Amino acid sequence: MASIPLRALGKTNVQVSALGMGGHHLGDAKDEKTAVQLVHDAVDGGITFFDNCWEYHLGKSEEWLGKGLKGRRDKAFLMTKVCTHGRDSGLAMRMLEESLRRLQTDHLDLWQIHGVTFDNDPELFARKGGAAEALTLAKKQGKVRFVGFTGHKDPDIHLKMLQTNYPFDAVQMPLNAFDGTFRSFETKVLPELQRRGIGALGMKPFSGHGEPVMKGVTTPEETLRYAMSLPVATTITGMEKPEVLKQNLAIAQGFQPMSEAEMGALRERCATYGDGRFELYKTSIKYDNPEARMAHGFPVDMQSKETQEMLKATKNDGKPFQE
Amino acid sequence: MRHTRRHFVQGLGVAGAGMLMDTASAQGEIPKRPLGKTGLQVSALGVGGYHIGTTETDDEANRIVAEAIDAGINFFDNAWEYHDGKSETRMGNALKGKRDQVVLMTKVCTHGRKKDVAMRMLEESLKRLQTDHLDIWQVHEVVYDNDPDLIFAKDGAIEALDQAKQQGKVRFVGFTGHKDPAIHLKMLSHNYAFDTVQMPLNCFDASYRSFETQVLPELSKRGIAPLGMKSMSGSGEGVRNGAVTAAEALRYAMSLPVAVTISGMESLEVLHQNLEVARGFQAMNATELTALRNRVRLYATDGRFELFKSTKKYDGALGRELHGFPTPEQLPA
Repeated sequence: MASIPLRALGKTNVQVSALGMGGHHLGDAKDEKTAVQLVHDAVDGGITFFDNCWEYHLGKSEEWLGKGLKGRRDKAFLMTKVCTHGRDSGLAMRMLEESLRRLQTDHLDLWQIHGVTFDNDPELFARKGGAAEALTLAKKQGKVRFVGFTGHKDPDIHLKMLQTNYPFDAVQMPLNAFDGTFRSFETKVLPELQRRGIGALGMKPFSGHGEPVMKGVTTPEETLRYAMSLPVATTITGMEKPEVLKQNLAIAQGFQPMSEAEMGALRERCATYGDGRFELYKTSIKYDNPEARMAHGFPVDMQSKETQEMLKATKNDGKPFQE
Repeated sequence: MRHTRRHFVQGLGVAGAGMLMDTASAQGEIPKRPLGKTGLQVSALGVGGYHIGTTETDDEANRIVAEAIDAGINFFDNAWEYHDGKSETRMGNALKGKRDQVVLMTKVCTHGRKKDVAMRMLEESLKRLQTDHLDIWQVHEVVYDNDPDLIFAKDGAIEALDQAKQQGKVRFVGFTGHKDPAIHLKMLSHNYAFDTVQMPLNCFDASYRSFETQVLPELSKRGIAPLGMKSMSGSGEGVRNGAVTAAEALRYAMSLPVAVTISGMESLEVLHQNLEVARGFQAMNATELTALRNRVRLYATDGRFELFKSTKKYDGALGRELHGFPTPEQLPA
């Protein structure tokens, strides 16, 4: 079995696998047993980068990853994210303790500000008492090794975050062939990260929920290969089923990047959809979690899985939250 | 041909510096302002067509239109796609015998499709509105990043605007959209001779993806008539929340250098509320405008009271369908 290439994470002196396992989809796995097995198989397949977030499935994603990494923690580069959405550093520190407990570890390798998607988020992050202070404090306390931020909305918001000149180690963003020509992180943010030596983390290679693959616009292989061929440390993708993990491992093991010409041809094909229909995280608030919406005074969507989970959590049926 | 009455209005009302000087307000009337270089004078408050379709009964819709005209409103907005034609049909009925008293606008909903679609829609709009011509015909809902390319493509909607003007079926043309000033500027970059341009203008806009700071000055420079909309955030979100009062919100919008502020009035109650502001209208001065902008800035900067910019909520079903987006039911926002 060919191994998954390891790549440098910015200036951190750490190497991570070019394919990373997304935390949101882990919580979508059929059950805990499946999730734990997915994590084991990912580690065995050469994945070292594990993504997660405080707000994914009300903590279920972190709990399941914690269980999956039991006894394997030292083989993983573990990231989770904090969900202040503009709120203060004290809240961030409480979320950190909760994440550490769920993940069954005393430290994170990377802790990122989650969901930097509203135009005023950078301002709220950098304000006095804002979440930036929590990143610094957590690092000082040795609870996190590296810090960063993530968002799926607009490259200009990312650039605004970078303009605060906070010393980020990593920055996460949507990167795929559609992004290449539409409100593009690839053209606006990636070069800036390279200039600054910040580790670039790609996400949403499959547009969030695999929409272009399901509609037959792109194949899974070219979709993932494009994202992994960009100058990023890792490409984080969700794998909630063994088949999906297997498919992605097959592409990542012995990975050969696309040529410039191949990438250009795919970008051009995807540019036909210049209205953002395959990047709904940029063009709608579908991917903005209720936690983020409420902190910003936006309406929540009763149909969304996240809102449903929140409502379910209010029911006292005498059973714990997880089925 | 296009601007035959240009001499009539130059230098009146809409000054480049953004200062607004209405006349006739002292007598308690609704001020009239020049509509760009068209030679037309329009009332500073206009009746929005979408909400005519949400009014509970036909009778109330008729009364809203009649009372509005009696009060001095002469600007009536509409769109081919509002409530599947009900808004146009209702307005057509309500304007029977009063057509010559109003400046009538409707919009064409090609959403990227070709000229022939636009021309068919025009005939339908004229029939529903019971008239042989429109005063203004605008391209509706220019909100997708690639809309300007599609509209200006060969055989695209822009050619329909030309043809309709030549045929005498429309006097003036423009476009509208609620999403992003960058898309408006892309439309303007084609240097097409638009007579009017419609956009959201309210006290939140100035601090968030701002049409006021990015598009209004460009229109002033070109002498294109700006039409304001969404003075109350679209559905009164900012008012309901208590961030502003309805009167403040409308006064702010009407104090900008626009020809008209189009407001949806789905009941006589709302009409009366708006008339209270519009009759004998006194524009806010620069200090008042700045003070209100600053007061609401905290709410403005994440777009929570401009959901038409920050979400899909206000993007119509037809436009979504033609752009391959999920339906409003599947993707509410």
